[in-house]
Amino acid sequence: MTSPATTARRREVDARIDARVGLVVFLGATAMLFAALLLAYAIVRAQAPAWPPAGAPPFPRGAAAANTLALVAASIALRRGRPRAALAFGAAFLAAQGALWRHLVAIHLGPAAGALGEVFFALSVLHALHVAGGLLALAWAGPARRGLLTLYWDFVLVLWLVVYLAVCVL
Amino acid sequence: MSAGKVAASDEGELPPEPTGFWRRWVFSLDHKVIGRQFLFLGLAFLAVGGLMAMLIRWQLASPGVPVPVVGKLLFGPSGGVISPVAYTALFTMHGTIMIFFAVTPILIGGFGNFCLPLLVGARDMAFPRLNMASFWTMFAATAVLTASFFVPLGPPEAGWTAYATLSTAIGAPGPGQTLWVVAIYLNGASSVMGAVNYITTVLRLRAPGMTYLRLPLTVWGFFLTSILNALFVPVLAAAMVLLFFDRVLGTQFFVAGTTPGAGGDPILYQHLFWLFGHPEVYILILPAWGIVGDLLAFFARKPVFGYRVTVGALVGVVVLSCVVYGHHMFTTGMSPLLGESFMLLTMIISVPTSLIVLSWLGTVWRGAIRFPTPMLFCLGLVFTFGVGGLTGLYLADITADLYLHDTYFVVGHFHLIMAAALLMSLFAATYFWFPKMFGRMMNEPLGKLHFWLTFVPLNVVFFGMLAIGYQGMQRRLYDPSVYDFLKPLLPWNRAVSHAAYLLGAAQLVFVVNFFWSLARGPRAAANPWEVGTLEWTVPSPPPHHNFDRIPIVVRGPHELGHPAARALGRDWLSQTELEGDTPPPRAPTEEPA
Repeated sequence: MTSPATTARRREVDARIDARVGLVVFLGATAMLFAALLLAYAIVRAQAPAWPPAGAPPFPRGAAAANTLALVAASIALRRGRPRAALAFGAAFLAAQGALWRHLVAIHLGPAAGALGEVFFALSVLHALHVAGGLLALAWAGPARRGLLTLYWDFVLVLWLVVYLAVCVL
Repeated sequence: MSAGKVAASDEGELPPEPTGFWRRWVFSLDHKVIGRQFLFLGLAFLAVGGLMAMLIRWQLASPGVPVPVVGKLLFGPSGGVISPVAYTALFTMHGTIMIFFAVTPILIGGFGNFCLPLLVGARDMAFPRLNMASFWTMFAATAVLTASFFVPLGPPEAGWTAYATLSTAIGAPGPGQTLWVVAIYLNGASSVMGAVNYITTVLRLRAPGMTYLRLPLTVWGFFLTSILNALFVPVLAAAMVLLFFDRVLGTQFFVAGTTPGAGGDPILYQHLFWLFGHPEVYILILPAWGIVGDLLAFFARKPVFGYRVTVGALVGVVVLSCVVYGHHMFTTGMSPLLGESFMLLTMIISVPTSLIVLSWLGTVWRGAIRFPTPMLFCLGLVFTFGVGGLTGLYLADITADLYLHDTYFVVGHFHLIMAAALLMSLFAATYFWFPKMFGRMMNEPLGKLHFWLTFVPLNVVFFGMLAIGYQGMQRRLYDPSVYDFLKPLLPWNRAVSHAAYLLGAAQLVFVVNFFWSLARGPRAAANPWEVGTLEWTVPSPPPHHNFDRIPIVVRGPHELGHPAARALGRDWLSQTELEGDTPPPRAPTEEPA
């Protein structure tokens, strides 16, 4: 016969593992979403006569790389136990992405302006939505649920690095 | 009741039951209430989708004749006649509703939710709030889909597959198709939420002693379906995102050759769609297989024949289902090498599928079969799925498919599985779990009448479609009678339509039985079917917390015809019953000579 305190403690640990299992399944699903989008990108690119498409202005890689720093900072802040700083960095990333999108539209790399623009917009907008979801979770949970939030934020960081590498570098 | 010794573990205090109306019945966190919400939502859309099928059949049997009774109301501007535009919208919405908004919520949302925690011995899903969100996301999806009927230019007309470029801004300029895309995305979000919940529940919340090989096949079905949902619904979501971008932001993923430098490709949409679409077939059929596997054993009073092999075959189907989708695209001009690979893989999938059918046949073979309504529907599934699966082999063969592609043979084939087999399974599940869900028995004579009035016309309809398709009639034709070579098929189409009307009318028997039993049916005992899985160890309907004490599982789910049960005066043992402690006294007459 276990004491009520032990039972309660065991339940708490169990619930934490449950939550982690659930999050991992969800991240697997999200990874499939992006894998499918990257597949679409690969097919679009394989069928294009030239890449980057003829006449497309050079992609502003530097600006996109700089935005990455904000996301890295958010991940580090979360690992250091500073959810508020992470919130600020995450919001800064979204603002910087917004500025990047405006700039891209201005230099004729917008979603309707050709294959490079459409691919970047599809991937980065969907990624930004996942960052926004992470911000909501962060604001909602505050200092609690640190393990789950760290996992999620690391995931969106890796996702962004993959998108950046695939679209901007390769 | 002289039950055997029952094992249970103590798990501390019980969760409180909500008392307010909204918390209890609307925004409930209880998997049993959410399951019922999904069931009612799905049944309502099943009725809508079914009525659409009636209208489609009317047009094929009596082209250009005004629809009786409701014609003036629904198709006023064309004088009660179904116009080509309305016809296209009808078959689009019929497919969309049946697959995404009827079968998915009934089978996976409804019975998955209701059964999973009860069958694994848990008090609720792993994430009750996520579960509630899953239902309300589905509800929002149905609202968005319904809204598409009332926008300028009307509902979507690109077919349930929404192939580009029929579905891009060029083929479908109205907002209806955009709403369709949003509805499918929300529907997928709901499915993924459910999948996260189901997978975690099975992995983490099984009662002590409930090993993977003691899980009822029903649980295996829902578990594997959830894995496919988590993996492949996001691929559909990706297709929807890109289609949405094409329609709203002016990208050209699926539009070819309009802007220099834009590398759009309509076939890309098909790849993404079928990458999801083929697993989707198994997403829907796996729970049905699981349910039927269990129920056949329950009513044949025998353990499942080859339980381990069956589980292995289910897993094998899941793995193979990921690599066969190209068989939907043989006519898109894919590389012959790729085509042959897909053909081979598709044919290989019939090996585990045959093992599953073999398990069903072995289970009922020489069983002490009882024939209540759920069993009739299960046997009906064995037949319709058998025929549906065999016709699949013709379509998997490239040379046959080049002729049969986009004919009614395809329509007959997938309806035998997606409509006939799934309807059989969801009716079996409804008749079987109704007592547990609502605490009352359904009427048996009406149930049997419903079975025969469904099973016979159902087969006439879909066998008729196979024959019509084999004779060359393409699907999605508004009026086949305008083509000389299809004119002789009009009597065939009439016969199919008349059988379809009968099939539709027969469902009224079910509706009457359902609602009458809900209000007036005799009270159900805890275990009316005399079977051993965990949901039947608790009262009907189960209390809010399911189990007063979390059960300890000591045996498999199909301990029917067990020798140790004889001492208890019955032929089954519950999954929680011990038999080793007290050696059962045996009457001398029962000893073999």
